[in-house]
This record gives sequence, structure tokens and C-alpha cells, in this order.
Amino acid sequence: MIAAEAPLGLNPAKVGAIFRRDVRVALSYPGNFALSWLSIGVEVVIAWYIGHLAKPSASFGSGGHVASYFQFVAVNSAFVRFQTAALNSFAEAIRDGQLTGTLEVVLATPTTMPEVVLSSAVWSFAFTGMQTAVYLLIAMAFGLSLGHVDVVTALVFLVLTIGAVSPLGVLAAALSMVIKKPGPIEWVSNATAYLFGGVYLPLSRLPHWLQGIGWCLPITHALNGFRAAVDGVPVTSVAYDAIWLLVASVVLMPLSLWLFGRAVHKARVDGTLAMY
Amino acid sequence: MLTVEHVDKSFPTAHGFGALARTLTGRPVSRRQVLFDVTLSVGRGELFGLLGPNGAGKSTLLKLLSTLTTPDRGRLTIDGIDVAAHPLQAKRRIALCTSDERSFYFRLTARQNLEFFGALMGLSGAKLRRRIDECSALVDMREHLDTVFGGFSSGMRVRLTVARALLSDPGIMFFDEPTRAVDPVHAEEIRALIRRRLVEESGKTVILATNLLDEAWELCDRVAIVNRGRVVALGPPRELDAELDAVVRYRVTLDHVDDELLARTRTVPGLRELRVVRSERGVDLHVELEPGGAALGALMRAVSWSGASPREFRPIDPEAIDVFKKVTSDDRG
Repeated sequence: MIAAEAPLGLNPAKVGAIFRRDVRVALSYPGNFALSWLSIGVEVVIAWYIGHLAKPSASFGSGGHVASYFQFVAVNSAFVRFQTAALNSFAEAIRDGQLTGTLEVVLATPTTMPEVVLSSAVWSFAFTGMQTAVYLLIAMAFGLSLGHVDVVTALVFLVLTIGAVSPLGVLAAALSMVIKKPGPIEWVSNATAYLFGGVYLPLSRLPHWLQGIGWCLPITHALNGFRAAVDGVPVTSVAYDAIWLLVASVVLMPLSLWLFGRAVHKARVDGTLAMY
Repeated sequence: MLTVEHVDKSFPTAHGFGALARTLTGRPVSRRQVLFDVTLSVGRGELFGLLGPNGAGKSTLLKLLSTLTTPDRGRLTIDGIDVAAHPLQAKRRIALCTSDERSFYFRLTARQNLEFFGALMGLSGAKLRRRIDECSALVDMREHLDTVFGGFSSGMRVRLTVARALLSDPGIMFFDEPTRAVDPVHAEEIRALIRRRLVEESGKTVILATNLLDEAWELCDRVAIVNRGRVVALGPPRELDAELDAVVRYRVTLDHVDDELLARTRTVPGLRELRVVRSERGVDLHVELEPGGAALGALMRAVSWSGASPREFRPIDPEAIDVFKKVTSDDRG
């Protein structure tokens, strides 16, 4: 009989240890660390430049507010980072462990694979949160208006977004366990987010059938919420998107964890936990 | 107490598109069996050796016991806990000293690495700091604690794997080639640490996987010789020497030898090897015979036939290498 490891038995001390490790490793690459911050400025400039391609419109705002295209692109680009972080962090935790040769030793301690993988996302989300804040601050210097932010809406959608996109990351990690490369889910999710999720274009401006694809993506509803928060729209006005994300979280998280458990089990049976 | 009961283990032979397609379509993937019906038990406080050539299955057995892989068949228990059914409980009782010196974060210092792994083992605060100091001192690494791991030599990395395994002070420890790549002085210190400090003083149960014969013979209470996934011999080293009786060696010292004596000696039934070594005290015949009294009698008749009187006729104790060669060659045959 093979036992499944408790999926959500997160130990705060271990989460803290993994967080400290990730911070230390990140800071041990000072050049990369500095560039990751500098690149934010470049991204804002690109968004600002793209922002001049279209005139302000109600379709760029929420709840009937007229907003500039820069406002639309900047907010979307800032918050789509959370999906990217979710997609990358879980699979990267496994891949890094395999590449550094630490994964087997970590798993020989009284630590479960879900603990390792989920804890690894803490630094990733914290770092993404800081980078998003800096992105928005720089964007303000270029004309982004954050004077009407509805903090409650922003926080609700932050939590729901992490809850809804994290399962995609866990699925990428499961795939990484089996095929040893997280690529496809990452690529498909990121590409569809930018094409159909409304990062660069409001969903309403897409052909009807593409809007259907966009509707199925968590990032579409997450960005609707964040744009609403920036425009000062109360959470009740975007309740539909919030409920969509909540349902997605409730359905996808256990499913992704189950699939991840199966992938880990297969890797254990095949003796490929550390293989990359 | 640790038991391994009738354990089989196999691994897939391919990991490419073909294997993936077979998995997705529910067809069997070809596998190579690496352990065959392995059964053994290790008592509390015992230093148990797993000795075998590269690829024999020693590390696989340690990985099974460490819950890193699962058996195809059979059962493994640690203190009565089924390893496959209750991996977390089992892992709380063990520590694995891996042979992979790469198993640290290269950009972090030794101390930061040990802090991380110690926390995963359940240690924290002052206790963790104290254990890091103690365990690093045991392997002579204390003064290097604040050095980045990537700057260590192979030997220092291996010594740090030993320190890491000691951190949580578990009752059962698995060492996978702990002296590999370590200089002779530190290798001897690690052996002494395992034998005296861990087993004799602290009463820990240790399984030592090694391909160093002398290490297994010198340290272990019992040794299982593993070859091609099978336990081909098991017992205390001295008993293995005697029981397997791999080869019987004699040294016969004579004043002189001539061609006729050598020719007659070469006809001794069961003679495996005959070497002539000239020294200041005379001529030594180093003779290896198959076990059994008949060969010995024939040898004695051969060396005394020409009227030569042996000055010395003494058996030479069997060596570990003979035992190892015999059991592994029998298995091949």
C-alpha cells in the first residue's frame, strides 16, 4: 500500500525556512536581482508607448469609467505578473531541486512534496507583489491614476487571483514531474493570457468566439477585478468575476493537487524524482 | 529495528516519447529489475554494511528505505512502521547521508545550507545553531561554516553531507559511500565517527553502503554482499571469510626449489595459483588451493617428495577480496 502525503499540511517553520532559502539564493545573484528591478522601468516605458496608440475609451475602464489605454495596459501588465509567478514558481521549485541535486535530500527529511512546492511559492508571490507595487509607482510617474483605488476590491481580487492561478502552476509542476519540463502549460497559459485574457485588448473588442476562450481563463476575470479596483469600483460591482475566480479556485485546487500527487507517485515508482 | 522483506524493484528502461506514449495509452513500459527478492533485517544498534560493485543495487535499497522510491513487491519497515504506507513517520526516524556531493545550494554558505536542512528536519532556534556547531565540528568543518558551499573541495562537500545527516540525531542512519572522495585522514575520522561515536557510544543503527571492502570488513557488525540486485552473502565479516572459504592460501618457505619440485607442485589437484618469491630467508612458495583436505595433503607430498624440508609451512588468512570475488563470480556464473 502506498500512502499519499498530506497535501496541505504546511508547517510554518518549514515554510519560513524555504522562504529564507529562496531570499538568500535570489540575493546571491546580485546582478540578476538588480536587473529584475530595472526591467520594470523598461516595461512601464513600453506600456506608456503602447498607451499612445489608442484614444481613451470607456472600454478601457470599469463600470463605465473612461480610461486611457495606458491605464488599461499598465494595470493589466502589472497584475498579470501574478499568473506568471504562479505558473513559474511551483514547477521551478521542482526543477531547481532536480538541477541542484537537493530534491531527494529534502524529500528524505520529514517534509512532503506539496510542502516543498507550495512553500516555494511564498517568496515568488511576495517578490511579485513588491514588483507589482514598484511597477505601479513608476507607472504613476508616467500618468497612471491611482487616486481612486478601492482597496477592498484590490485585496479580494489579489487573494482570488492567487487562488485561481496557483492550480495552473501546480499543474505545470505535475507536468514537470512527468515530462521533466514545465514548458507547455507555462507557454499556453502565458500566451492565451496575453492574446485572449485581455492584457492588451479589452475582451469586448475581440471576435465573439475568442471572447469565449477569454471567458474561460482565470486571468481575464482577475484583470477585470484589478482594473475595477484601480477605478475605485466596489467589489460588489464585479461580484461575477470574483465568484468565477472563487469557483475556479475551489474546483481547480484539489484537482491540481490530486494530479500533482499522482505525478509524484509515478516519479517515485519510476525512481525519477531527481531526474531532469 | 529495520526489515526488508522480499523486495523487488525495477525501473523503466526508457523515458522518451515512446515511454510517454505507452504510459498515456495504458500499455506497459519495459522495465529493468534492479533488486530481486531482497530480504534482510538490521537490529537496533547494529552497524550493517551493504557491500557491492557499482550498480549492484545498494543505493536503490537505501532510497527505498528513505521513501524516495517505492518497491514493486515486498515490504520495508523501520521500527515496525511500514515505509511505503507511512513515509512521514518513517522519515522522522531516519537520516540519509547521500553520496551526491552536489546536494547543497552552491550559492549559500555551509551554515545557511545546514540551517535550511535542519529546519526541514524539525530543528529551530538555539538547538539548531548548537547542532550545526557540534556536527560540523565532528567532521572538521566548523571553521568553514561561513564559506560558500560552491567553493568547497569534493572531500569537504562529502564531509558536509555527513554533518547534515547528523543534525537531527535520529536513531537510524543511512550512509551511502560516506568516504568517497575524502582524503585518507578525514576518511578514517569519518569511519571512527560512525563506528565509535554513532554506533558504540550512541547506540544508533547504521546502514553503510560501500564498495570499499576494507571499510565494510573493518567497520561493520554484519555485511550483506549485494550483486546484480541480489543479496549473495550475509553475515559478520569474519564468518563470511570462514563460511565461504573462498580460497585457501599457504606460504611454504624452502631453502631452495628446483624445476622438478615446481613441476610436481603444479600437478597438485585443486591448485589455483603458484607463485615463487625469493627472499633473504630462502624461497617462498605462495600457493592457493581449492578448499578441502585432499589438496593440502597433495601439496605437502609434492613439496617433500624431492627430499626438501620446508622451513615453514603456514596458512595465510583469507582476505575480504577473496570472499567478495567468490560470491560475485558465483552469482555471475
